[in-house]
Amino acid sequence: MLRRALLAAAAVLAAGTAQAQVKELRIGYQPSPIQDASIAMFESWGAKKGIKIVKVPNSYGVYVEKMTASLTSNSDQYDVIWHNDDWGQLWAHLLEPTDDIEALKYAEKWGMDKVVFGNAQGQNTVVPMGQTFSVFFYRSDLVKPEEVPKTLAGLVETSKKLQAAGKVKFGYVGGMAMNHSWFSWLWSMWANNCDVLAPPYERDNKKLAANGWKSMMTEPCMKETVEYWWDAINTHKISPRGMPAYDRNEANAIFMGGDAAFTVADTLWWGTFNDPAKSKMAGKIAAARFPLGPNRKDPFAWDDIWGWAIPKSISPERKALAKEMLAAMMVDKEGQMKMFKATGAPPPNTTFWPEISAADPFMKLLKESVLDSPHKVRGAYYFANWPAVHKAFNDTVTKAVTGKREDIAKVLAEGAPSVSKAAQ
Amino acid sequence: MASGSRPLFGEQQRFMLLLVLPAGLLMLLFQVVPIVIGANASFRDWALYNPKKVWVGLAHYQAVITDPAFLEVVLPNTFLFMVVSVLGALALGLALALLLNRPFRGQKLVQTVLLVPLMVAPVIAAIMMRWMFNDQFGIVNAVLEGLGFEGQPWLVERWTAFGVILLTDIWLWTPWYTLLLLAGLQSLPREPFEAAEIDGTSTWRVFTHLTVPMLRPVIVVCVVIRAIDAFRTFDIVWTLTGGGPGRSTELFSLYAYVLAFLNLDLGRGSAAAMIGGLIILVVGVVLYRVTDRIAKA
Repeated sequence: MLRRALLAAAAVLAAGTAQAQVKELRIGYQPSPIQDASIAMFESWGAKKGIKIVKVPNSYGVYVEKMTASLTSNSDQYDVIWHNDDWGQLWAHLLEPTDDIEALKYAEKWGMDKVVFGNAQGQNTVVPMGQTFSVFFYRSDLVKPEEVPKTLAGLVETSKKLQAAGKVKFGYVGGMAMNHSWFSWLWSMWANNCDVLAPPYERDNKKLAANGWKSMMTEPCMKETVEYWWDAINTHKISPRGMPAYDRNEANAIFMGGDAAFTVADTLWWGTFNDPAKSKMAGKIAAARFPLGPNRKDPFAWDDIWGWAIPKSISPERKALAKEMLAAMMVDKEGQMKMFKATGAPPPNTTFWPEISAADPFMKLLKESVLDSPHKVRGAYYFANWPAVHKAFNDTVTKAVTGKREDIAKVLAEGAPSVSKAAQ
Repeated sequence: MASGSRPLFGEQQRFMLLLVLPAGLLMLLFQVVPIVIGANASFRDWALYNPKKVWVGLAHYQAVITDPAFLEVVLPNTFLFMVVSVLGALALGLALALLLNRPFRGQKLVQTVLLVPLMVAPVIAAIMMRWMFNDQFGIVNAVLEGLGFEGQPWLVERWTAFGVILLTDIWLWTPWYTLLLLAGLQSLPREPFEAAEIDGTSTWRVFTHLTVPMLRPVIVVCVVIRAIDAFRTFDIVWTLTGGGPGRSTELFSLYAYVLAFLNLDLGRGSAAAMIGGLIILVVGVVLYRVTDRIAKA
């Protein structure tokens, strides 16, 4: 009994001493509105605890490769890193399990599913930062809520009407280039019961492998999707001719400049879209569900999270302190309210959602149409080769949409093996 | 009488070696060691996220040299870029050097302004060009439309995108040629030019029969250095087009980068880099011999 008590006292003392020695936590992140808001919560916790939060910004363009190299080299360069569903399985074996953070009981379960962030032992490896998914934004000064297009064909029709009336230069604008495919290619594909790999919407690697990692590039739904964008750009001219090369910044700039009536972007841009210092359309933007293609009747919602993770390689003292900080962030109501106001991204603690939803119509819409939706889609695949698959997919559809319309099926058929091969 | 063996190096040689030592060590650490590590990785199953490091022999090399994208897109693009970029910047650089070699009012100012691109980081230049050639708010289309022409989606078509890449590279490198060729021009003896003037030789003949032959050694050095450098161009292409649309403007360095750092397959990426290294070694030697022969002719 006495021995146990002494051991426990020694352990507490050791942990206390170790924690007292840790004076700073280093955060590896990519500057963006949601990450900045989340780190502000870390800083507020750090100020109370006397822990310095060292922010180490990294470019999005090199984030995965740089962080992967840092994680595999067992360095202690970062104590907490930005994590994303896309890399959930890539890094699962390199990250500290976070199941022992009690505050995770307040987190949303879909985004943290084991398919995405679980390691081989079935442990969770992430702490959510916020929900990051895209919605269909429209100009509320030009389109009434009941007039928002419900179908892809309706998007063309409404766009053409607005263009003909001289109200706007383009109907739709969205990122299409590699790593920005979500904002045109992927959502419109999902809206048409289509996906990169068959069967559509499946994210269980065992099932995808059993199906031979077959791509959907040669399916009629994919041809329809590419033809839709080809027509939108070249025939109906509702989208700019340069769109296949656009990243999200270029698309957002056109939308915020008032040259397009519709776009798809992450909800975390809501704050920027409505910031008069950055957007000419501030106060004239609303959001709705995605328009659907001919193959789909039920609305769908794309829902993912961004999160924070702790590298396995750092010392136990730093891990403990990092977990304490993340746990504090999970219950920081004031910080999470500020995060939603600044970004429009639903915060990580689901118990705050009803209150935000009651006060904010945008959150009400997100809650009804996405967060509580029974038809959810995951924005990526969760195996290590996903970046290669994504690039092979994007290269193929870009080649198809920038070529001749009659060659679309041929180009998709030529690119199909490269997508499947990249997955294997 | 002192006996024993003579030291391997004399005092002067030892001093020289001491001076070279820091540079040698730096080169060993930052050039030789990474190449050796890369070469080792190219024979192994070495994924960045899970480095098993299992020996796979020449499998990665075989995969790269049998990849149709590498043979049919990447290599032709790389050599085309190398030739057009090197010759384009050489021609413009030589023209500017000839202009600056004559005294005129404001010469120093013009000379300084022309050197500005040398001070711009390639990534910054590429971002600037990307926005300039944006089809909606780029200055290029604004000017074209102002003149009554239709604006173009420059970065969506293969050859216009390639043209923008070349333009950016030539803009960045022309001042470098100008600087070196101007230095070369100013070091040429005056007598042959004075004799040609007395003989009433035309300007074109002076240029083709005196200026260019006498500048050949400088031109050779410029071309060889720049050609090798052009082969490994990465930053402007990655920033401007990312190798797109599709893979139509992909150059060798992007190919290796995508394999190693986007697909996170360090083994295959290293194999691609080693193959590229061998190619440029051969090209460099051939180029040096050819241009050297031209210079001596």
